[in-house]
Parts: sequence; structure tokens; C-alpha cells
Amino acid sequence: MLNILAGIGIAFFGFVLQTSVAGFNRKVTGRIQKRYGPVWYQEFRDIFKLFTKRSVTHGWIFDFGVIMAVGGIIGTAMFVPLTTHTLAFAGYDNFFIYVYLIAVGMLGMAMSASGSGNPLASIGVMRALTTMLAYEVPFMIIALTIINLTGTSSLTEIALAQQGQFNWFAIALPLGGIVGFMSLMGMLGKKPFETYIAPAEIASGPMVEYGGKQLGMLLVMHEITVFIEVTLFMFLFLGGAGSIIVFLIKYVLIYTFANMISSVNGRMKIDQVVLFFYKWPLIMAVTQAIIAIYIGWVI
Amino acid sequence: MASIELLILFTLFAGILAFFASMIRDILGPVVTILASLFIFISIAYFGYNGELDMSTSIIPFVTFGFSYAGLFFAIIVTFIYSMVSFYNPFFAKKYKSPSVYSMFYLFNLVGIIGVFFTSNFLVLFFFFEFLVWTSFFLISFGKSRKAAISYFGFSSVGGFALLYAIFIMHNAAGTFDINTGLAVVSGTDAILVFILFMISAFSKLGAFPLHIWLPFAHGNAPHHFSPVLSGALVKLGAFVGVMGLLRVSVNTYQIDAIGLDLAHYIIAILGALTIVFGTLMAIRQDDAKKLLAYSSMSHGGYILVALTLGTSLGIAGGLYHVVAHGFSSAAAFLAIAAVSKQTGTTKMSELGGMIHKMPVTYIVYLIAIISMAGIPPMGGFVSKWLIFQAVIDQGLIFVAIAVFFGSIGSFLYVFRPLAALFLGQELPRYKGKIKEAPYFMMLPMVIFSVLIIYTGVFPEFFLDFINNIVVEVGAAPITLSNGVIYILNGTLYPSLIAAAFAVGVVIALIIFLVFPKSRKVDLMDTYTSAEFIYTEELLHYSNNFYAPLERLYEKYINIMENFYIGVSKKVNQLGRVFRYYFFTNKPEITVFWIIILMMALLLGGDLL
Amino acid sequence: MKSTKFTKFTEKEADAKWWEIGNYFRRNSIWMLMYCTGCGAIELPPAMTSAYDMERLGMGPMATPRQADVLLVTGYLSVKTLRRIIYTYEQMSEPKYVVGFGSCTINGGVYFDSYAVINRLDYYIPVDVYVAGCMPNTEAILNGFVDLMGMMKNKTANGWVKYHENYEWYKANQIQAVGEVHVHDEFHE
Repeated sequence: MLNILAGIGIAFFGFVLQTSVAGFNRKVTGRIQKRYGPVWYQEFRDIFKLFTKRSVTHGWIFDFGVIMAVGGIIGTAMFVPLTTHTLAFAGYDNFFIYVYLIAVGMLGMAMSASGSGNPLASIGVMRALTTMLAYEVPFMIIALTIINLTGTSSLTEIALAQQGQFNWFAIALPLGGIVGFMSLMGMLGKKPFETYIAPAEIASGPMVEYGGKQLGMLLVMHEITVFIEVTLFMFLFLGGAGSIIVFLIKYVLIYTFANMISSVNGRMKIDQVVLFFYKWPLIMAVTQAIIAIYIGWVI
Repeated sequence: MASIELLILFTLFAGILAFFASMIRDILGPVVTILASLFIFISIAYFGYNGELDMSTSIIPFVTFGFSYAGLFFAIIVTFIYSMVSFYNPFFAKKYKSPSVYSMFYLFNLVGIIGVFFTSNFLVLFFFFEFLVWTSFFLISFGKSRKAAISYFGFSSVGGFALLYAIFIMHNAAGTFDINTGLAVVSGTDAILVFILFMISAFSKLGAFPLHIWLPFAHGNAPHHFSPVLSGALVKLGAFVGVMGLLRVSVNTYQIDAIGLDLAHYIIAILGALTIVFGTLMAIRQDDAKKLLAYSSMSHGGYILVALTLGTSLGIAGGLYHVVAHGFSSAAAFLAIAAVSKQTGTTKMSELGGMIHKMPVTYIVYLIAIISMAGIPPMGGFVSKWLIFQAVIDQGLIFVAIAVFFGSIGSFLYVFRPLAALFLGQELPRYKGKIKEAPYFMMLPMVIFSVLIIYTGVFPEFFLDFINNIVVEVGAAPITLSNGVIYILNGTLYPSLIAAAFAVGVVIALIIFLVFPKSRKVDLMDTYTSAEFIYTEELLHYSNNFYAPLERLYEKYINIMENFYIGVSKKVNQLGRVFRYYFFTNKPEITVFWIIILMMALLLGGDLL
Repeated sequence: MKSTKFTKFTEKEADAKWWEIGNYFRRNSIWMLMYCTGCGAIELPPAMTSAYDMERLGMGPMATPRQADVLLVTGYLSVKTLRRIIYTYEQMSEPKYVVGFGSCTINGGVYFDSYAVINRLDYYIPVDVYVAGCMPNTEAILNGFVDLMGMMKNKTANGWVKYHENYEWYKANQIQAVGEVHVHDEFHE
């Protein structure tokens, strides 16, 4: 019971952290574009403004999908470790839980978007799923390498292995680190892989019929998803965190770096995304796996 | 105390009774089917679980039965699916020309099932195997196309004859037809040949690459209430033969040290991986919902194969748990599509849309089934896929892992398409106001399957305990289970905790949702169209060519295997024509040709030899 | 006119205490609908770019009317466009605001005697802030937005509530200018 409350606390902490970091990054993007950006708490104001608006609904599936999406994401966030010894359910943080529980959130959002009856929403969902097909396979190969090397698939133990026996996996498996970062950009939905939102092409894709509290909840879901994914990347490749200060520093650095790369790139088309991920990232991931598992060269 | 032999005789008798009952009134035949199949399932499950099945035979000559955990496991799953799907028979009885024959052959199917899984003699196994293929062949031909049934029969005969050849090789080596001695004694090159033949037979029943041509054809054209059985239960026969071939025949070809697998096993794993990839890619293209689910069955058959070839206890447990999870979810998905097709008359996704507003229960059943098929927690598919992933990662097989992960994500893609195109989206005007929810009697098996799918996901220890028995029987170490947590070498999984976290999350989301201001309800056609006024629903429903950008990348390569088989059949045709030209002709020049050859052989025969 | 049904919202609810907290969030994060109706729309991109940065006030562009708060009517309104503007306005989520750009929305501008252009926007949908000029300068536009935020703080930006209360009057004006919209099913004929 106490563990569940700790989990809810971690989910809430993740939401607050990510929303602040996202607001801070809007200022960073603004500065890159030679202007002042908004205040760092702008995203909070956006989300709460959305909660106070009265919007429309298209049926029970429209609402039910949003609730399932947010519920799934909060459920996943309860398992996320903050440092290597601060987590709600110790010993049960298996790597595959994160990847697949995020899929429940996506399925809920996809259901509700298609249930609105707008074809643009279904097109957006189709693009999101195709992008997921593209970036997951190289990411899973690198995760396979890491799990095989450390002999465990629990996130905290992988982080502890990086602090002791191996170097950080971004350095020990250099090709793997690059592939992992590219997959992270795909997961976060940042340019150049932002095909599923595409505001000018398909009128913001799945979010076309949302307004008011449903959109607010979807933004909450997006923030918590980003929190889970960045933490996953940190624990897999950058050695986790021993204390909260180190966690915060690494988190802000990873997200800001991804944001800076994304702010100078354009958007790819959807078949270009699939072809991109199945060419060089896949070759790099397979090469890295063969080198690490069979030949045994780990830096 | 239930005797297997009496059960078989009872089923035969019930089949003949259903035939005659249907002649009196149309609906009595299906009723007899439902009652008989329920009785068989309950007796096998109850007595088998308590270990009280009687294997002696006194009435039927030449037939012997033996008990094995694998046989009992498969028999319980398959008879359960048969008995649940039989609830659909009364509603489709009026559509076919001779419903009495349908009920009779449905029950004869069960005869074959019980015989195959509980026998201990190879020839009896072959007899019941062929009996099952023969009766299900008639059932498939009740559907839309006769050619589909013939293609099914052809490919299954290939499997049957390979099995017969393997049986005779083992008889040669062991001297008897007994299953256990035969599998244990065979060794050396004999073992390699037996292994290959068993694999051909398993591939042809599972629908794995390269013997997969019949699967979408037969599934797509079978009658709507037989497809759940065909996909959920009959392909598991191939898994059973696979279990026998892969796990109990000891093959020793070249051992690949780097991954710790035998070369023969590695080739089977690669073929299984190719099955997964092909099934996924073809399923993404389909417009007919049943063909899509048929390709999905092919892909999941590949998962079972890959898991069983690995040979470790994780792999075996993952493969067998996948048999359970896929059987239930595939049967539930096919049942939902059959309910939709009964109400609307079509299963093509480009002609349907917005079914959720009239058939919400069918939608929920389909949703739970596809969550399990895509391998997402908290349903049963996640547990089995997790075991398979860990098994593949343990061995370090990279290329098989690429295919496994690709299939897992790709299954999310193709399984979402009927959801968005068929159930969600705009309501088409030709169905508005005319569609009702499926009748309660049809909803009953769908709801039971949904509850079971959730149960296998949240409390996996019931089935895993049983599977541990099979793992021990085959000769590997059992999986550690305690209090609902699965402990393996690489990690732990606590499925009930995942489900509990999900439930807590949903409660929090519901609270947030209810606190803030209420939304007003608008019609589906009142949507963002850049302020254009719209009045045709068909133009606003996105269902055709759903994954067009992805399909464009590979649509040039899809016909390779079909063209290969068509080429093979053309070559056989040409060979036959050559024979006919030389041996079965009444042309005088050929006769002269043979007379010359004969005279040359007689005159010069002594010198040439 | 095909319009979306809505429930009434009373003045009493607008006076509740939690509405003030909502006002703080709403005035600091205004999302405008990128619907460029007339020639005045050319002045919007400079407001978004680096020189006169709109984002530091919390404003940003949004794609669909369901997500947006502010409808910017930029420039003259022909009768054809008016139909779509009214449809878009009714699709927006509440509370919603309208800003009229340029002189054409105030009194017809340079097109005041045309047969196809309306002269005064306020008869058809309620307008909260007018920004005069032909076209208005970018600083004037930002001034208008700041005025809108001030009106939201003082709880005087209640155009949408007036639309609810005087719906019949607005509808009569709309039908007189635009006429009934007959939608016929060309697809099935």
C-alpha cells in the first residue's frame, strides 16, 4: 500500500519535473531563434488553461480512450526508478514493462482519436504507429545487447552494473549509444521524426478534435511519457543516478540536448522515417551487438 | 473416472445423432453439438486435471492410449475452444445447404482431436491425424470457395505423408510403433531425417514459411463460425507435432558454439523468424478482416516455433504459454468478426465503419483480444511474449531477435486496423439504424474468452504450474514461480502488480476527468473540416489503404512465394505432358521410336553391358 | 445554417471565485486559431517571429478551432467567408474570444459599399477587441492582445456569454445576410 503511494508520488514528481523542463526548453528554443521565450512555467499555464475550458465529446469511446491513456501512463510511471535506490516497487522494474505499458497509453489515445470520426486523426495515428515500428527495432537490439552483457533486465541493476563493472554504456558501446539516442528522438516525437503531429499537413494529427480537458489530459500523458523515456535512456546508457541531484542534472542535459538538435531540423516524411531507421541505425545496432556479444570488445 | 475410449465412442454416436436430429428440425443439430462438446470438455478437463483418465481400451481394436502432460494440455485447450465456438452454430445453421452434415463433422473433428492427443501408438496417431484433416476439409468447404478447402487438404497431406515416412523410419529403428520408445531410440542420420520430416509436418499444419500458402486462403474463405476453431485450435496440432519433433528427438548435427544451438535447430529458428516477418508484413496490407487475422495466426505460429526451438526451459514455457494466450485471443477476435459479419453480411473493412455505436460489447471483446495479441500488459499475451523475449536474449540470437521484435511491434499495427476502420470512424448511412447488437447467446462465449484472457494475464500461475509439468516431462528445469511472481535468471515479473498499477492509474485519471467541467456531446459529422459543410459519411471515413506509405515500401515483393508455387505446379504439369507424349500416346512415330529402342536394346544389349 | 447545439452559460457562474483562477491561466496562455480570412493576415507572422515575439506573452498558434481560444478575423469578410466563420466560431471550445483586425470589421473599410462584403462584424458574432488600421501595425496588434488580456482580467471579455443570451438576434442577422444554407447530397444524386 505504501509502495503504491510512493509510486503515485513518483508519477507526480515526474510530471512536475518534465513540465518545468519543457517550459525551460521553450525558452532555449526561443534563444536559439534569437528571441525571448516564454517563462519556464508556461507549460503549466497551458495545461491548466485547458482544464478550465468546456469542450465537446463525440461519444463514450472518446472519453474512455483518454482515461485509459492517462491511466496506463500513470501506471507505468509508478514503476520508474528515480535513483538506483529510490523506486516504488523494488526488484520489479523490468525493462520490457516500460516499453509495453507505454503502448497501452498509445492505444488508448489512438482509440479515442479514431473514435472522433475525423479521418485526419486516423491518419495521424497511422503515422504514429509506423514511426513506432521504425524506431523500436534498433532500440530493442541495443537493449538486447545490454541485457545480455549485464545478465539482468532490471533497470536499477543495469545502472549499478554501469557504475561498477562496465563504463557507461554510451561510452562502452559507442555505436549503441548513438543508435539509442536516435531512437530516443523518435520516441519523444521531436523533429525530424515529428510526423505524427505535423500541424500544417494533417492539422495536428490525432489531436484534431480535442479541446478542453481531454487535450489537457493528453498533454499530461505526453509529459509523463517523455519523463519515462528520458529516464529509461538515462538508466540504460548513462549509468543511472546515485542521488537526486545527479538525476536532475543528467535529465536536464539529455532533454536540452535533444531539443537543441530538434530545433534546427526539418520534418521527414513517413516513408523516409522508416527507410532511415532500417538503414544505418539497424546496421549499427547489429554490428554493435555482434561486437559486444560474440567478439567481446567492450570499451 | 472417464475413459478415453468411451469418450471417443460417445462423440461418434453424438455426431450421428446430430445428423439425424438436424433432419427433423434445423436447430436441433447445433444444440446436440453444443451439449456434446461441453460434456467432452468438462470430462477431459475435470478428470484429466485430477489425473483420473482411464487409458485402457477394450472395445476398439488396435488402438492404445497413453497419458502425457503435453497431450492433456493441448486437449484441454482445444476442446475448450471447440465447445465455446459451438455456441455460434445455431445462428448460422440456416445459411448453409446441409446444416446436418456440418454438425456431424464438427463432432467428428472432436473424435480426431481426442484421438491424436491421447494416443501412444504412432500408427493410431497418423490415423486420427488424417481423420481430423479429412473432416475439417469438409467443414471448410462450406464457406465461400471450394479451392480453399482443396488447398488446405493438399498442404496437410504433404504433412501427413511426411509424418508417415518418419513413423516408418522410427519403426525400422525401434521395432515397435510405440511413441515414447520410437522417439527415444532413433539416433544418427536417422534422427536427422526424422527431425526434418517431423518439421515438414509441423510446418504444414502451423502454416509456417514456406508452407504457408493455404493459411490465408483457407481462413479467409472458411465459414465465419469455423474460422475461430481453425485458427485457435487446429493450428495447435502443428504445435503438438512440433513439440514432439523438436524436443524429444535428439538431433546432433554441427553444434554452433557461439549461440549454443544445434545447426538444425538454428535453421528452424530462422524459418520461424521469416514466418513472423512475412505474416506481419502481409497482414498489414489486407482489407478483409478475416484474412488479416489469418496472417496474424501465421505470425504467431512463427513465435511458437521460435520459442520451442530454443530448447531451454524458458523457451518451452514461453512457447506453450503462447499456445494458450494466442488460442484464446485469436478465437475471441474471430468470434467478434463473425458477430459483425452476421449483423452486416460482410467482413471487408472498406465497406464497414462506426460499428461501435451499435455493438459496444463486441467492440470491447475485440479490444481485449487485440491487446493480448499485440503482447501488451496486463493481458496474457504479454506474459508469453516476455518469456519468449527473455529466452531469445539469453541465447543471444540477433537476427531471430530482430524478427521477434519486429513482429511484436508490427502486430500492434495490423491489429489496430480493424479497430479503426471497422469499429471506429464515421457511421456509414447504409448501416445507420439497421444494426443491432449481437444476440445474448452469441455474446456468452465472447465474454468468457475475454475474462479468460484477462485471467491469463493477471494470474499466470495457474497455467504456468501446469506447463511446468510438461517442461519437466521433456527434460528441462522448471520455471520458478512463487506467489504470482515469475523468477528467471535475467529478471522477475509480477503480472498482478502491473495490473494493479494500471488500475490505480485509471482511477486517478477518472478522478481528474470528473473534476473538471463537463463536455457537450456533438454528432460525429460535426468535426473539423476547415469549416467546409459536409454531408457524406463515406468520404470522411478512413479505412481503405490504411497503411499506404508503409505498404508502398514493399508491395513489389509480395507475390514471390505464390509465384514460386505456381511455377512448381507448372513444372509438374510439363513433366506430366512429357510422360504422356512418350508413353500414353497413339501417334505412330512414337511407336516406331520405341520399337527401334527395343530392337537396339535386344541386339546390342549384350555388347553394351 | 448547420450549427452545433450548446447549453447556456449564465452570468452567475462567471462570478464564482474559481473563475478568477481560471482567468489567470486563460489570459496567460492564449492560443490563436491560424485562420487567415483576409488581407490583414499578413501582419500576423511578424508578430510570431523574433522581432515582436508573441510567445513571451504565452500566445501560440493552434491548428483547429476545437483547440484554440481566440478567433482572429483579419480583414474584410465576404458573405461566403462569413458562413464559414460562423461555423468555425460555433465549433470552438468555450470560453472563446474574437478579435477584429482592421477597419473592415468595424465599418466596412474600403469595401463599405460592396454588395458581397458585410459592414459590421458585431452584428453576426460578438467581438471583444477591435484593432483599427488598414492594416494595423504589428505593435498595434500586440497592444490589442494585451488589451484583451486586461479585459479578461476585469471579467469584461464576455462576448461568448452574450452570444448565448442573444442567440436569436444574432441568428436573425445571420440569416438576413447569408441566407439559409441548403446542403444537398451531391454525392448520392
